[in-house]
Amino acid sequence: MIEVEHLSKSYGAVAAVRDLSFQVEKGQVVGFLGPNGAGKSTTLRILAGFLGASSGRVRIAGFDVAEEPHEARSRLGYMPETSPLYPEMKVREYLAFRAELKDVPRAQRKLEVGRCLELARVSDVAEVLIGHLSKGYRQRVGIADALLRSPPLLILDEPTAGLDPNQIREVRALIGGLGAEHTILLSTHILSEVEASCSRAIVIAKGQLVATGSIDEIRGRGRPEVRLVLRGARDAAARALGASPGIASVALEERGDLVYATATLADAEQGDEATERLVAAAVRAKLGVRSVMTHAATLEEVFADLTREEAAARSEVAS
Amino acid sequence: MRGLVAIFKRELFSHFVTPLAWVAMTAFLLLQGLHFFLIVQHFAGQLDLSADAGPVQTFFGQTMMLYLPLLFVCPVLTMRLFAEERRSGTIEPLLTAPIDTAGVVLGKYLAVVVIYAAMWLPTALYMVLLGRYGEVDWHVVGSGYLAVLAIGAGYLSIGTMTSALARSQLAAALTSAMAIMGLFMVGVGEFIFPEGVGRDLAGHVSAWAHMNDFSRGIVDSRRLVFDATVIALPLFVTVRAVDAWRLE
Ligand SMILES: Nc1ncnc2c1ncn2[C@@H]1O[C@H](COP(=O)(O)OP(=O)(O)O)[C@@H](O)[C@H]1O
Ligand SMILES: [Mg+2]
Repeated sequence: MIEVEHLSKSYGAVAAVRDLSFQVEKGQVVGFLGPNGAGKSTTLRILAGFLGASSGRVRIAGFDVAEEPHEARSRLGYMPETSPLYPEMKVREYLAFRAELKDVPRAQRKLEVGRCLELARVSDVAEVLIGHLSKGYRQRVGIADALLRSPPLLILDEPTAGLDPNQIREVRALIGGLGAEHTILLSTHILSEVEASCSRAIVIAKGQLVATGSIDEIRGRGRPEVRLVLRGARDAAARALGASPGIASVALEERGDLVYATATLADAEQGDEATERLVAAAVRAKLGVRSVMTHAATLEEVFADLTREEAAARSEVAS
Repeated sequence: MRGLVAIFKRELFSHFVTPLAWVAMTAFLLLQGLHFFLIVQHFAGQLDLSADAGPVQTFFGQTMMLYLPLLFVCPVLTMRLFAEERRSGTIEPLLTAPIDTAGVVLGKYLAVVVIYAAMWLPTALYMVLLGRYGEVDWHVVGSGYLAVLAIGAGYLSIGTMTSALARSQLAAALTSAMAIMGLFMVGVGEFIFPEGVGRDLAGHVSAWAHMNDFSRGIVDSRRLVFDATVIALPLFVTVRAVDAWRLE
C-alpha cells in the first residue's frame, strides 16, 4: 500500500529525513514511532503530497506521489498534525466542503458526510461551529475528514497528541475499529500508543530508520539483563563473568564483601542458556552466588535504546 | 481546475461570516454614498448639462473618490486568502485533497471578484435615481462599471498574489496596497513626463486616464488588454508560488 524508497528531505541545511525506506502492506495498522523532531511529520507530509521529496520515491497504492499526485492523493485520507480546520464553519458544513473537494458525487454527499460523522463519533456536534469544539472533537473531525470517500489508506499524524486520557481512549477505540477496513499509518512519539493500536511499528530517529517489525520483534531487539549478587572479590567476579559466552557487557559494584553485578546479554534468544552459564562461571570461580534475577527489557527501554544519540551508527539493526 | 467550485463557494461563505468584510463593505458604501451626494449637490444648481460632464461621468471619471476606496478595499478583501490558511495550517488539508493548484487559486480569486462586484451593486441605485430625474446615458454607465470591474479585478489579482507571498495578512495587505499605489503613481507620470515614450507608457498604465476614457463611453480595447495582463500575471505567479511551497 505504501512503498518508500531512499526518501530524503532537507529544509535548507537541516536534513529532516535521510535515506528512509520502508513498506506498509495492505490491511496493516502500523505505528510510525520516533521522538520529537525525528522527521515523522515531514515523512507523512511527503506521503500525503503536501511536501515534495528532496530525493527518493514514494508510491501509494502503486501510484508515485510526485508523478501521479491525483491518483495517489485520492487513495489516501490524511489527518495533519493538530488537525487544522476552519473555525468559522460548522462541522457538517466543513465535511460537506471536504466531500466536494474530494469529488464525492453531489447526490451521495449528504449520505457520505453522515456516515463519516457517525464513524468518527462526531454526529452530536454536527451543527456546532468548529471554533467552539474541544481538541478531542477537532481531532475526530480531522479523522472524519480522512474517512470521506472511504480511502483504502489512512495517514494520521499524532492522532492522540494533546488529548486527555478519556479522549485518548476514545480515539484509540475509533482507530481500532477502523483497522478492519483500512490500512492505517499513524505517527506517535508515545510508545504505549503503538502497543495499544498497532500490529507493526516503524521506528525512526534523526530522520533515519532504526527498526521495523512487529511489536514482539522490536521488543526482541532489547537485550535482557541478569542481575547477580555475589560474595567475593570484584576482580575475580569481573574475570569470571566477562569470560562467560553470550555476555555483551558487565557492570560491577562492590559493597562490603559483596559484589553487585549487572550483565547485559548479547542476545535475547539465548537468554536462558547465557544465564545458566553465567551462574556456572561464578560457581567455578568460587564466588558465593547469593541471588540471581533476570530482567527482560521493556519496550520503553528498547525504544530509548534505539533512538538514543548513537542511533545513526546503529542503522544496521534495521531490517 | 479541480476544486475550483468548492473553494469558490467556501471562500464566499467565509467572507460573509468575517466581521472585517462587513466593515469594509459598509465603509465603502458610505464613502461612495458621500461621493454621489457631493456630485449631485454640485450639479443641482446647473441647468444646462453637457453630455460629456454629467454626474455619471463625474462619478466614474473625474474624482479621486473612486480610487481611494479601491486602495484599501482590494487589499482587505484579498489579504486573508492564502496568508490565513498558512498561518492556521488549513493549507495542509487543502493542498493534500485531490485538487489542482490553479483550481485553488482561481476559486479564491473569483470569490473576491464576486464580492467586489457585489460591493458596487448598491451604487447602481444612484444611476437609477439619476435616470428618474434626468437623462442618463446607459452606455456610459455600462462602460463606467466595466472599467471599475476591470481595474478592481487587476488590483484583486495583485492582492491574491501578495497574500500567497507574504507571511502574514498584515504584510499581504500592506504590500498589495503599496503595489496598487505604485501602479497608480506610474499612471500619474502621464501628467509629469515630457512628450515621449515615458509619457505614452504612463498614459497606458494610468488608471486615471482609463476611468476618464470609460466614463465618457470610450471603450479602448488596449486598456482592456492591459487590465487582462494585470489580472493574469499575478495569478500566474500565485499558482507558481503555491506549487513552490511543496519544495521548501
Ligand atoms: N518547515 C520547516 N522548516 C525547517 N525545518 C523544519 C520544518 N519542519 C520541520 N523541520 C525540522 O525537521 C526536523 C523534523 O521535524 P518533524 O518532521 O516535524 O519531526 P516530528 O514530526 O518527528 O516531530 C526537525 O528538526 C524540525 O525542526
Ligand atoms: Mg510531528
